[in-house]
Parts: sequence; structure tokens; C-alpha cells
Amino acid sequence: MKNRALALTLALLVGVLAIGTGARGAGAPVKNPDTFVSLVYGDPESLDPAYAYDTASEGIIYPNVYETLIGYDGSVLSRYQPVLATQVPTLTNGLISKDGLTYTFPIRKGVHFQDGSVMTPEDVRYSMLRFMLQDRDGGPSWLLLTPLLGTDSTRSKEKIVVTYAQAARSVTVQGDTVVFHLNHPYGAFLSIVAAWTFVLPKAWAAAHGDWDGTEASWQKFNNPKLQDRYEFDHMNGTGPFKLQQWDRQAKEIILVRNDQYWRKPARLARVIIRNVAEFTNRRLQLQQGDADAIAVDRPDQSKVEGMAGVTIHDGLPTLVVQVLHFNFKIDPNGNPDIGSGKLDGNGIPPDFFSDVHVRRGFAYAFDYAAYIRDGYRGKADEPNGPIINGLLGYDPTAPKYTHDPAKAAAEFKEAWGGKLWDTGFKFTTTYNTGNVSRQVGAAILKDSIEALNPKFKVDVRNMQWSTFLQNTNTHKGTLYALGWVVDYPDPDDFAQPFLASNGDYPKRNSYSNPQADTLVKQGAETTDPAKRVAIYKQLTKLAYNDVPGLYVAQPVGFAVMRSWVHGWYYNAVYGGIDYYPIYKE
Amino acid sequence: MSAVQSHAAAPAVAVRRKPVGETGWHRTLRRFRSSPLSVVGAVIVVFFMIVALLAPLLAHPTQRNPYMIPHSGYSSDPRPPSPEHPFGTTEEQFDLFYGVVWGARTAFLVALSVVATAVTVALLLGSVSGFYGGPADEAVMRITDIFLAFPGLILTVVIVAVLGQSVRNAVIAIAAVEWPTYTRLLRGEFLRVRDMEYVQAARALGSGDVRIIARHVIPNTIYPMLILASLNMGGIVITFAALSFLGLGAPPGYADWGQLISLSHNWIAGTAGDPFTYWYTLIVPGLAIFLFVLGWNLLGDAFRDIFDPRLQGSR
Amino acid sequence: MTTFILRRLLLLPLVAVGVSALIFLLLQFLTPAMRASLYIHDPKQLNALPDLIRKYHLDQPVYVQYWAWLIQVAHGDLGWSETAREPVAAAIRGYFPATLELAIYSFGWILVFGIWLGTQSAVHKDRFLDQVSRFTSISGASLPTFVWGLLLLMIFYGHFGWFPPGRLSLSGDLYVRGGAFHPYTGLMTIDALLNGNLGLFWDAAKHLVLPVATLTYYLTAVLVRITRSSMLETLRTDYVRTARAKGLGEHVVVDKHARRNALIPVITLGSLLFVGLLSGVVITETVFNYPGIGQWGVNASQQLDIPAVTGFALIFAGLLVISNLFADVMYAIVDPRIRLQ
Repeated sequence: MKNRALALTLALLVGVLAIGTGARGAGAPVKNPDTFVSLVYGDPESLDPAYAYDTASEGIIYPNVYETLIGYDGSVLSRYQPVLATQVPTLTNGLISKDGLTYTFPIRKGVHFQDGSVMTPEDVRYSMLRFMLQDRDGGPSWLLLTPLLGTDSTRSKEKIVVTYAQAARSVTVQGDTVVFHLNHPYGAFLSIVAAWTFVLPKAWAAAHGDWDGTEASWQKFNNPKLQDRYEFDHMNGTGPFKLQQWDRQAKEIILVRNDQYWRKPARLARVIIRNVAEFTNRRLQLQQGDADAIAVDRPDQSKVEGMAGVTIHDGLPTLVVQVLHFNFKIDPNGNPDIGSGKLDGNGIPPDFFSDVHVRRGFAYAFDYAAYIRDGYRGKADEPNGPIINGLLGYDPTAPKYTHDPAKAAAEFKEAWGGKLWDTGFKFTTTYNTGNVSRQVGAAILKDSIEALNPKFKVDVRNMQWSTFLQNTNTHKGTLYALGWVVDYPDPDDFAQPFLASNGDYPKRNSYSNPQADTLVKQGAETTDPAKRVAIYKQLTKLAYNDVPGLYVAQPVGFAVMRSWVHGWYYNAVYGGIDYYPIYKE
Repeated sequence: MSAVQSHAAAPAVAVRRKPVGETGWHRTLRRFRSSPLSVVGAVIVVFFMIVALLAPLLAHPTQRNPYMIPHSGYSSDPRPPSPEHPFGTTEEQFDLFYGVVWGARTAFLVALSVVATAVTVALLLGSVSGFYGGPADEAVMRITDIFLAFPGLILTVVIVAVLGQSVRNAVIAIAAVEWPTYTRLLRGEFLRVRDMEYVQAARALGSGDVRIIARHVIPNTIYPMLILASLNMGGIVITFAALSFLGLGAPPGYADWGQLISLSHNWIAGTAGDPFTYWYTLIVPGLAIFLFVLGWNLLGDAFRDIFDPRLQGSR
Repeated sequence: MTTFILRRLLLLPLVAVGVSALIFLLLQFLTPAMRASLYIHDPKQLNALPDLIRKYHLDQPVYVQYWAWLIQVAHGDLGWSETAREPVAAAIRGYFPATLELAIYSFGWILVFGIWLGTQSAVHKDRFLDQVSRFTSISGASLPTFVWGLLLLMIFYGHFGWFPPGRLSLSGDLYVRGGAFHPYTGLMTIDALLNGNLGLFWDAAKHLVLPVATLTYYLTAVLVRITRSSMLETLRTDYVRTARAKGLGEHVVVDKHARRNALIPVITLGSLLFVGLLSGVVITETVFNYPGIGQWGVNASQQLDIPAVTGFALIFAGLLVISNLFADVMYAIVDPRIRLQ
């Protein structure tokens, strides 16, 4: 008996020593039980909800520190919950008018901001006006400006073209409610409200050098620089956490529990979000249990699989689409990517991609399956157009392009009056440095095309963000990779930027299709979901036939965290994690 | 760091005495052979030279640009050494063997380009500065001061960030950091030689300045330059690798050791179960850089030991 | 002596102007759109490009921008750093102490260990210690810093868990941010002792081990080689031979006579080494996520954050002038002949 006990002890000792003092196994005690450490890469740009328009900032702002009038039902994006409003407006309860132009939100009482003051409907109105009228260059203000004022900017060429009266009458306070008066019916409006109507207190803002809410001074506060506002690094919302500090040297944000939250206080006492650029660093800290959740790119998945004490949530549907864009009118001046600039086998002419047969040729040539397999480890779906899975109006039956060299060759043989096949072409495709999936995509594109015809030559060039911007500004891109991340989960948020001629990408690529324009406008203005579905199905078909771009992947997300984390849920719109329901044990 | 090294390598080369019965070359070779480390250095450098020259034979290029490494498929997990891939593959299946072999070419090309550029600039500026002195000298010295006031890696990063990422721009950036050291060295040599009797005599006889520089000054500056350059070769390759690590050097898929290491840096901690799963992605290109730089360091040391007379008798 | 020091300090503004001019000269190669990349983080913001260019005056001629910057600096304002999200001066004040701490410990180690090993190597030339030290120092100079750093991280943190990356652990971080801690110098180890918190001291020290080991490897190798060859030269000189002939013990010869003179080139190197360290921290800080000025500088350079890069370059240039001055003062102390000049 004694010998056995001895042997067992020795075996245990040897076992423990053999493992090494490093790894923390599944049975390891929870480190820092009331603090959550999240390692991400990317610094927030600003903590001002009217300024921030990047994922890192949004991840902190929403829904942890600032809240909106209505929220999502957990992961389900199509169902709304009342948050700062007490009811979700619908046609049935009359809070949406029949003409779709008026939305009424009864405001919750007894809600406190993090500085202790009480939230009033006036604060809500102020926050909406501030969001619209701050309108910094490259900011999110267009999201409310477009449905409420019918314009996407308060300025045109540095001059202010919007009046205070216009803004003032678009958001009004009536008793205990706040009413939005839309400029035109917009079926997606609730979607925008859920994601972008952050509320902060007027008195606090005014006391710290921001706009006081009056007509007289608003223009002075229009289009600030990053550092001009107190709210850049100070937060005062209604959410379950408040900002303790943003330490820019340590690249760290510390949130602490708001015990005055209008619902039950959160379970976590503290949340630390740290920017760690090196993946190996993040992964080792997760392994040691010093971090509870880390950001992991898909190509790095194999390095976290099988890690003891770590859970991986895979199969998370994202609202992101990766696209290869055709530039219909390339600027040839000083452009290294178009070769000779002529259809002579050594280059491409500036309107090379304006021929639909060329585009369809590329669409059939690209090996989508290989791209998804190797660029995303198989964890992505091929979209059939810009209206992706998860959006209203997504058509699962719509046709997709598949890798078909025979059809590709047939299309190329018809291109440019039949000349292209014999003449050949040469150009350079570009992607931004550091993006591994796009690197793979470019390599696949090159190999797929060059396999069809020895006269087809595609070179690959990666460039830094700054150079990429330069290219975009001057329409120098040829066939380039860029994606789109959801602003609000509505098909209009995807259809307009890709298909309408005043959309982001068509403007950049000189693509214009009047039929698309009509359909996009109709889809936006109709409130009846059934009608919208039909319209977006038509748009999907249009995108398939006209091929303004190759819709190559809708990635599937995955999240990596320690197994002692509970209460986490996935939401495709959030920039980060909702820490409110989370606890560790 | 080359600035640091150069100060040690900038000796004044005095006139040498020739022992009876032995030619200069024999003596050089004898001294060379007597130090085992020098021989090792020479062997390593020659080995890499051979690999670089024979690159097309050792690793047959399949792309239009032979410096782009062929890849079989695109999957992201590196594969260990196997018959088709003797050194294994990197992330995205670039063949490590091909990368190492053609990387030797890249290393030589980059290092030699930088040295050539720096030497050219040094010849122009150093000769003007050292030979003519006066305000030209002052100006050149102040300019080198400004360049040397920059921490080297930061200046290269700024230059590449501004010009755009490419091998050519990385070479320009590194040369921009190295040229002051060469210039100062050459200037020192020019200063020394300018005051020598035979140069004064040639000038008095009416010889053109350019002729004097070409015939008398430059040949005498070869040895210090050789020492500096050979000690610098390794440093340049390391700087280039650091640039690639920061994403500012050779593009992904380019046959360059630094770029290969950059591809490995997410994999060196292996998988959760075994930290050494992907050892080859780091060790193979890392060893290549290490040996290359080691060889040149040893060779540079050897040159210095041989050509620096102050150490004569200390062997 | 005082006039000498003052005259050298006058160099500071000249070097500052030179360095900043060089940077703004590089701007000639950038188009306004490329400069605007600093403010655009997402493709959705691309439409704002022309407005951003106008807003931040990125399309003005370079000399106009330079002049505006000079005026701003004359008023004591180094500008705003988008990458740091705070004023350049504040960023430097925040990042510099961390790098300084790293540099000081590294410098100390390099100097002490490097000189000792170099001297011993020279004195025991060609014997076992010399061969070993020569080989390790040459091989140390052959290994890229980031490779070495990553290896160390993998073994000592990944496998053993002893030395974590970053500057402080989570609890250390929280303590420092709490009201009880008073920052005196900005150097975490010193401040911890001054605050009487031994636990914090060990925490900070633990986080310094790997970065210091990484940073010092290459430079120690270099210093050993240089000290060795310098010592070898000195040991051949006449006065050393005389000292030996007089029958003085080897120990006395080395310590009293040879070392002093061998140190002269080492002092030159010492000052260069210090600035070289500040350059080497770039890679080290990136690998270990150490929040210092090197990491910030590289980030700023990659994103073309010009005010940050310029401010950063100015600090380094200033440090160089001061360290050169320091070296000159050291020469004067070590070598009486120089004092007489």
C-alpha cells in the first residue's frame, strides 16, 4: 500500500515536471476572476461616438459604455429589444407612421449617465443632433444625415450647406418621447437606430467645451479634428461599464463596472482591452491564462487549436464580404500596373474591364473553392452577389459563378471583338500589404488566368495602405481587392455601396447602371419587407449578369477564449464583445 | 551598428616592410591560413558565392521572375521537410529550399548594391571633402552629421515608408544610412594622402587633380574600404532582414532570407501541444543568415588582422 | 571646460534644424493622398480623401509646411501625433522613460560584461577563454535581433512561463494606476523601490529580463571584439612593455596602465553604443510589446505620422549631441593629454 502511494506520488511529480511550469490546463484555477482581459490588435481612433467609425473604437463604445434606443436580441439581428426606449416602433403599434416618415420612441425613465445625472429626452435629441452636425470628414454622421436630412454631408466643398432648422425639425421631443421625421421613407431606419443612436448628456458635453445645443454655435463645432473634443478620450454614457482610463502608452483601455446601471449591474468588475500587435504574444498570454480572449486571424487557427483550457467558437456568420473590383476607367497617367496601356499583349487599355465578356471571363476563371480552402481554411462561403447571407433579401437559390476554365475561355474569346484571345494582355493586380487572404486571392487569380492562355499575364503587387490610398484617389487600380463591413444589418447597406452609381465603389470604379440605381432607390424606400425581398432578388440577378466585381468570400468568424469565460455571445454588428453578461468561473 | 564597427575598422595604414624572400601575396596567404577562424570565414563566403552563382541549376525557376518562389498550393500551414521540399515549406507553401538558394543571390545583390552605392557616394563626396577641404569639407561633414544623428533603422523605415515597399527602395534606404561612414573613412584617407610628399610632388609637377586621385589616392584607400565593406556585408543583410520583418523589405513570396523569417514569425511558437512543430520555418532561413553574416564577419576580421600593420607581431 | 561644453551644446539647435529639414525633404516624395492615409482607417472613409487633404493642409508646398512646423516648434508645440492619439510631446514623455529604463540596464550590462570579457580575451589571447569569447562574440554579431528575441520568448515565456512580454503584469499595472503609487523617475524598477514596493520591483525586473537579453546580445558581441582589439593594440605599446620590463605584475600593468588607454576608443564606442541601443530597441520593443519609443517610432514611420517622426528624430539627435559631449568630457578625464588641448 505504501509502495503504491509512493509510486503514485512519484509518477505525479514526474508528470508535473514533464509538463513544464508553463501551460495552464483545463482544470487550472481562474486567473483574476473579476477582471476580463481582452487582447486585440488595432488602437481605437476615438471614444467619441459621433467621431468613431472604426471597429476598434466601436468595440469599446457599444454596447459597453454607450447605449442606443433599441438593441439586438442577442445574436439575432432581425429582432429588436427596447433599450433606452421603452418600446420598439412598428407599424402595428403605430409608433411608425403609415407613410414611413415618422418614428416615435418613448424614452425610458430613471436612467442615469455614468456621472450620475438623469437621462432626459432632451439628452437623446441633443445626442442625435450632435451626431449629425459634428459631421467630421470620414465619419459616421452620414448614417443619420441620409435618412433624416436626405443628404450625406453637412458640407459641400468646405461650405456648410445644411441649416440648423433642417436638423432641428428632423428630431423633436414630444413629452416623454423623441420623434424622428425622415426625409424619405427608409425601410432600414430601425437598423440604423439600433447601431448608431448613442446617447450622451448635453450638460456634461457643454460643460466640457462641446456644443451647447443651440442654433447660434453649432457651426463652430462642425468638422473637428480628432483632438478637439473632450469626448475623444472621456466617456459618459448609460452603459454597464464606464471608462476608467485610456492609457495610450500601454495601448490599453480599462473599463470598470457601472453600479448605477439601469439594469442589474454587470458581473465583471473590470474589463481591460489591450492592443498587442504580435500574434505570438497574444497567443502565449492566452496559453498562460493572462488573457481571457484574444483576436486570432483565420490563418493562425492551427496554432490555437488543441490548446488546453481554451474554447474556440467557430462557424460564426459575419456580415462581411470580400470583393475583387474591376476598375472600368483606369487612369493611365504614370500607372505602373497597366503595362503598355494598349491592347497589344503587353498591357491593358484604360477601359479594359468595361467589356462584360472580359469580366465574365475573370468570373469563370477564378478558383473560388481554392480561395476559400486556402485563404480561409475552408471557413467562408462564396456569396452570389452583394446581398449576402444574413441580410433580408438574400436569395439562396441565386446562381453563382464557379471555376469553369472552358466557359472562361469562351468568354475571353468573345471579348474585344474576338481580338483578345489572340492578342493577349498583361496587367498587375494589387492588394494591401499584410492581408494574407488577399495575398492568396491574388496568387490564385494569377495562376487561374495564366493557365488559360500563355498570352495572358497577370503580375501581383502588394502595397502599403498609403500607396493604396494614393491609387484609389487617382483611379489607378486595375483589379483590386477590397471588402465591406456592415454598418447596419440591412441590404441597403450593401446594395448601395456596390451597385448604385453614387455608391462608394461604383464612384471609384466608374461603374454606372441606371437599372441598378432605380432598384436600389426602390429597395431603400419601401417599408414592406416582402416587396423589399423581391427587389433585392432582382438586384442580385443584376449583379450576376453585369459582374461589376467578383464576390469571392463571405468569411465565417471564429472567437477564441479561455474555457472559464461564460455568457459570451456572438453578434455580427458589434465591433467587440458585449461584456455585460460575461462572468468567469 | 556599422557606424560602431567602422570606427574600429578605420585604421591608418602605414607603409609596410617586406621581409626578404617572400612576396606580399605569399605573406598574406600565410597569415590567412594561420588563423583557423579566417579560413572558416573564407570557406563560408565562397560556399555562398557558389550557391548564388549556381542558383538556377540548384533550384530551377518556374515563374517569369526567378526571384519569386514557386508554391505548390496556397494552404497556410507550413509543411515539414519532405522529398519534394527538402527544407520544408513556409506559410502559403513557398519552398524553403528554393528560397534559401535564391536568397543567397538576393543577399549578395542587396549587400553589394548597398556597398556599391555607398562607395560611389563616398568617392564623390569624400574626395571633394578630403582633397579640397575648406567650405566643401565643412558642408559634407555637417551633412554626414545629420544623417548619423538619425538612428539607422528609423531612417531606413521612414525612407521605405515614403518611397514604397520594394527591394530597390530598401537598398536605397540602407545605402542612405551607410554612406556617411564610407564617406568619412574615405575623407580621412584622402586627408592623409593629400599631405604626403609624393602627392605634393605630383601636384607641383602640374598633374591634374583627378589623375592624382585616381592613380595615387584611391589605390591606397582600398584596404580600409575592403575591411569596412566586408564587415558591413553582414550588417546590411541583417538590416534588410529586419526591414522585411517589419513588412518593409522584400515582398511576400520573394526569395529573401529575411522575408522567409518574416513568414515564419507567427509559427515559431508552434502549436498548442508542441512549441517546436514548425522549427524549420525559422531555423532554416535563420541559419542561412547566421552563416552568411558569420562568414563575412570572420572574413572582415581576417582582412583587418592582415592589413592592419599595428597588429603585426601580435599573431 | 565650461566654454567647451557650452559651445558643443550650441550644436543642438543646428542639428535639430538639419534633421527636421531632412525629414521634410523626404516629404517631397509623398503625394497629399499618401499623407492622408494617416487619417483613413477603413475603405469606407476613402470618399473623404479630398476633404481630409484640405482640412490638414496636406497639399501645401513642402517649404510652407516646414515653415509652419518651425513656427509651431518655436512656440513649444511639437504638434499632434495621430498614431499616438496624443500630443507629440506627451507621447515622447510617456514612451521615453520605458525605453530609457531598458537602455540603461542594457548599457550597463554591455559595458561591464563587454569590457571585462574583451579585456580578459586580450590578456589571455588565443587561449581557451579567448577562442570561446571570440567565437560567441562573432556569432552574436551574426544573429538578427528579432530571431533571437522570438526564440527567447518562445522558450522562456511560452514553455517556462517565467518572463512575460510587456512592461508590467496585470496586477502591477493596476497598482501603478491606482492612487497609492507615486512616479518619481518614470523608471519602473527605481520607482518601485522608492515607493517601497518590492513586489512591483520584481515584477518590473521580470519583464525586463528578455528584452535586455535580446538587446544586449548583439551589442555585447560588438563591444567584446572592439575592446579586445583595442586592448591588444595597447598591450603592444612601448609604455606597457616598459611597465612589464620594470617587473610590475601583469595585473597592475593591465589595470593601471593598459586599460585606461584602451578605454579611449571604447569611450567613443560607448556614446555611439548608447545611441545604437536606442536604435536597436525598435525591434526589441516590437517583439516584446514593450511600450517604448522605438515601437512608437516605427509605427509612426510606417503610417507616415510626420509630426511624430520629426519629434522622435529630434529627440534622438539631441541625445546624440549630448552623448558625444559626454564622451568628450570622459576623454578629458581619462586622458590628461586631451585636457591640455
